[in-house]
Amino acid sequence: MTGAAQTKPSIVPHKKKNIWKTLWEQKQLMLMSVPVLLYVFLFNYFPLWGWITAFQKYKPKLGVTGSEWVEFENFRWIFSRQDFLYSIRNTLAMSLINLVFGTVSSILLAILLNEVRNRAFKRTVQTVTYLPHFLSMVIVVGMAQNIFASNGPVNSLLVSLGLVKDPIFFLGEPKIFWWLVGVINVWKEVGWNSIIYISTMTSIDPTLYEAASIDGAGRFQRILNVTLPGIKSTFVVLLIMNIGHLMEAGFEIQYLMENSQVVDFSRTIDVFALKYGIGGHADYGYARGVAAGMFKSVVGIILLFGANFIAKKLDEETLI
Amino acid sequence: MRKILAGILAMVMIFSLCSMAVADDKNVITVTVFRGDPGDQPTDDNRIYKMIEEEFGIKFEIEFLAGDLDETLGTKIAGEDYPDLFDGGNSAEKIISAGALIDLLPYITEEKTPNLYNHIKDLLPQLVNENGELFIIPNYGINYNDQIQNYCNGPAFFIQKQVLEWGNYPEIKTLNEYFDLIERFIAANPTDENGTPYTGFAILCEGWRHFCLINPVQHLMGRPNDGEVLIDVTTDEYKTETFIDKPYAKAYYKKLNEEYKKGLISKDTFVMNFDQYIAALSSGTVLGMFDQTWDFGSATQALETAGMYKNTFLALPLVYDSEYVDGKEIEEHYLNGSVPNKDRGFGISVNCEYPERLIDLFENLLSDRWQKILQWGIEGEDYYVENGRMLMTEEQYKQRSDAAWKRANTAIAIWESAPKKQGTQDDGNAWAHSDQPENYFNLMSDYDKAFLAAYGKKTPAQFFNAPLQIAPYGEAWQIDKTPIQDDYNDYLAIQDAQLPKIIMSADDAEFDANWDAFVAEIAPSAQIYTDFMQAEVLKLVEQATK
Repeated sequence: MTGAAQTKPSIVPHKKKNIWKTLWEQKQLMLMSVPVLLYVFLFNYFPLWGWITAFQKYKPKLGVTGSEWVEFENFRWIFSRQDFLYSIRNTLAMSLINLVFGTVSSILLAILLNEVRNRAFKRTVQTVTYLPHFLSMVIVVGMAQNIFASNGPVNSLLVSLGLVKDPIFFLGEPKIFWWLVGVINVWKEVGWNSIIYISTMTSIDPTLYEAASIDGAGRFQRILNVTLPGIKSTFVVLLIMNIGHLMEAGFEIQYLMENSQVVDFSRTIDVFALKYGIGGHADYGYARGVAAGMFKSVVGIILLFGANFIAKKLDEETLI
Repeated sequence: MRKILAGILAMVMIFSLCSMAVADDKNVITVTVFRGDPGDQPTDDNRIYKMIEEEFGIKFEIEFLAGDLDETLGTKIAGEDYPDLFDGGNSAEKIISAGALIDLLPYITEEKTPNLYNHIKDLLPQLVNENGELFIIPNYGINYNDQIQNYCNGPAFFIQKQVLEWGNYPEIKTLNEYFDLIERFIAANPTDENGTPYTGFAILCEGWRHFCLINPVQHLMGRPNDGEVLIDVTTDEYKTETFIDKPYAKAYYKKLNEEYKKGLISKDTFVMNFDQYIAALSSGTVLGMFDQTWDFGSATQALETAGMYKNTFLALPLVYDSEYVDGKEIEEHYLNGSVPNKDRGFGISVNCEYPERLIDLFENLLSDRWQKILQWGIEGEDYYVENGRMLMTEEQYKQRSDAAWKRANTAIAIWESAPKKQGTQDDGNAWAHSDQPENYFNLMSDYDKAFLAAYGKKTPAQFFNAPLQIAPYGEAWQIDKTPIQDDYNDYLAIQDAQLPKIIMSADDAEFDANWDAFVAEIAPSAQIYTDFMQAEVLKLVEQATK
C-alpha cells in the first residue's frame, strides 16, 4: 500500500504486446483476482438489476414482471417529502463532520504516536485506541446512551463542575445530534484510522529527519516539513475514497440513536430507505426505498469522479 | 488414533441417519414459527412441547421479534421468506396485504373441525374481510360462558401501591387527584431505600407503543379504547373525531407540562426504548404511568419475583376534573365488553406444506383437555382438583409467573398466538388459572390482600365501573388503516414529534405556541384520518345491524 503510494510506478509500454499474451504471462495473478471480481459482480453489479423496481409499484409476490409500472411516481413522492430533503442534508452534514473529525483526529494521533520513543507506551496506546473499532455499534450506542443520559456521568460532571445549571439533553436535542455522532465515531475509529498513517510515517526515510535536524529543525519543524509532506499522498488517496463515500454517513449509529425528538436531524438516506422501503407502505414501500437508494448511489458516483477530477487537476495521486 | 476418530465419526453419522429415518417413519414435522413480539425461547426439554410432539408429531422452531416489527415483516415479505405459522403482531395487515397468508375458511368445517367451527361461527361476519376470507383466528377475546374479570388488563393510569398506602388509601378518581398524590409522595420521599431518585410519571413513546403518549385523552373523556378517535355512541350518526387536536386534549398535555416543570416527568422518558422502560419499571422507581397492563407484564412479574409487592402497580380509571371540561362530570368507562382480537394471532403462510396438519393441531389444542393442559398444566403436577374445583398450591401458582420455569414447563410461545378458550368452563372453573377466583384471592401476596382490604375491595377490577356493552362497531382501533397508510403514518409521526416538545415547553407562552403549531401541522392528515374512520365506523355499524 505505502510502497505504491510512495514511488510512482512508471509502466512505459516499450512495444505493443498482445494483451492475451500479457494475460497468459500473469495467469497466476489473474486467477487470484477471479474471486474478487466474482464478489464485486455478484454483490455490487448484479443487484443493480433491482433498480428497475424503482419505476414500479413493486410487490414481491407479483415480481418485476407482474408489478405495475408507474414511471417516476416513486421519485416524485420521495422528493415531495420534507423528511427526504432533511435526510439528504443530514447525510452530507454528518459525513462531512465525520470526514473532518475522523481525518484530523487520526492524523493527530498518528503524529503523536510517531513522536513517542518509548515502544511499550506506543504499543499500549495504539492497542487501546483501536480496540473500540471491534465493538459492535449496538454496544457503543448502548454505552453512549448511558454516558450521555440526563443523569449520566457526563452530565453529572458538568453539573458538579458548575459548567451548566441543568443537565444537557444530549440524546433528545436535535442541534447536538450531528456532533454527538461525530464524537462517538471518533472515539470508535480513531485508533483504527490512524494505523494507515502510522505505517506511512514509518516508511518515511529516516535520513530526511537526520538532514532536517542537522539543518537545525526542531521537533515541531520536522513534523511540519518532513512528516506531513510524507503522508500527503496517502492523505489524498484516502480523501478521494472518502469523498466517494460521502453519501454514506453510516446507518447503524443513526438508526440506533434515532428517536422522535431528533428524527429531523438524525435520519440519513439509508435509514429513510429502510423506514419507507422495508418498513413502509405495503404497496409502494419497496420501490420508494429503491428509489432513495438509487438517488444516493448516483450522487455518490458523481462525487467520486468529481473528487478524482479535481485531484488530477491538482496533479496529485489519483485513484482511477 | 486418527482411524479410531474416523470410525467414531462414521458411526455418529450412521446413527444420525438412522434416527432421521425413524423420525421420518413417525412423520414428525418441524414447523417454523414467527411471533410478532419479543419472547423467551422454550427449553429443549420443555415437557408440554414434548407432549405435543408425541401426540401430533409436530415440533416447533420459534423465531421471536427482535428489533422493529414493520422492518422485520418487510424483510420477510421482500424475500417471501415466510414461516409456516406467521403471527404478524401489531402489523398483521401488512402480511395479509402482501398475500403471505392462506384463507383458513375452506379448512374449517362443522364436520372436520367442530371445535374451531364453533369457536368462530357467531363472530364470522365481523372477522372475515370483504372477500369473505379469514386469514387469522383471533388469539384473544373469544369468551365461553361468563367472562371473569379480576383485574383490568387493558388501558389505565397506573400508580405504585406504596404511594396509595402512604397517602392512607385515598380515592383517586381524577387527573388532578392523581398527580397531586404523586407530587406529595415525592416531596416526602425523594428517593427509594437505595437512594435512587423516584420518577413521578413515565411516558413510553417508542414505536407502536406510543399509545402511552397519544391515547389517554379518550379515556379521560370517559370512553373505552377506540384507538385515536373519539366516537359519540349516543346517536345513530356515530360522529367520529380525532381527539388529539381538540381543546380538551390540550388540558391533559398542559397538565403534563406542569408536572414536567415540577420535575415529575424526566426528559429521558421521551427517548427511552421499550427495554429501558421495562427496566425502569422493574427497578421500582417509577411511580406512575399511562399504559396497558399486558404491555408491562414482564416488569410486574420481575417485581413480584423480587418480592417488591409495594412497588407493583394498581390500575386506576381516571377522568378529567370537571374544571377541564366546562364543569361536566365525566363517568369513566375504561372496561369494555370483550371483542375478538381481529387479525391478531397465528395465520398459516402460503409457504407452509402441511396446512391441514396445523389446522388439525389447532382443532385439537382447542379441545377441553388440551386447553386445560395449556392454561393450567398437568393435573397432579401443576394443579389439583378438590370438590370439582381446580386449585393450585401457593408454589404451583407462583411458579407460573416465573420466567425461567415457564420456559421449561409451558407452551406459552405457541399458546399466546393460538386460538384459545377464555371465560369459564362448563363446570364453572375458569379457563385461565389466574382468573380462577379461589386462586386469585387465596394466593395473592399478603401485601396485596392487606392493600385490597384497606380499600374494602375484593379485586382490583372493582376500582372500575362494570364493562360497557360493546358498541356495534367493536373497538375502532381494530380498523385496518392500510388504505390511507401514508397519511395515517404522517398523522402519527407528527404526534410523536410534537407532543413531547409540547410537554417539555419551558413556559406558558411557549406551550401555547407549540400547541397551536401542532394543531395547524396535524390538521390536514387528521382530516383525512377522520373522514376515513367515520366511513369505516358507519360501515361496521351497518354490517352489525344487518
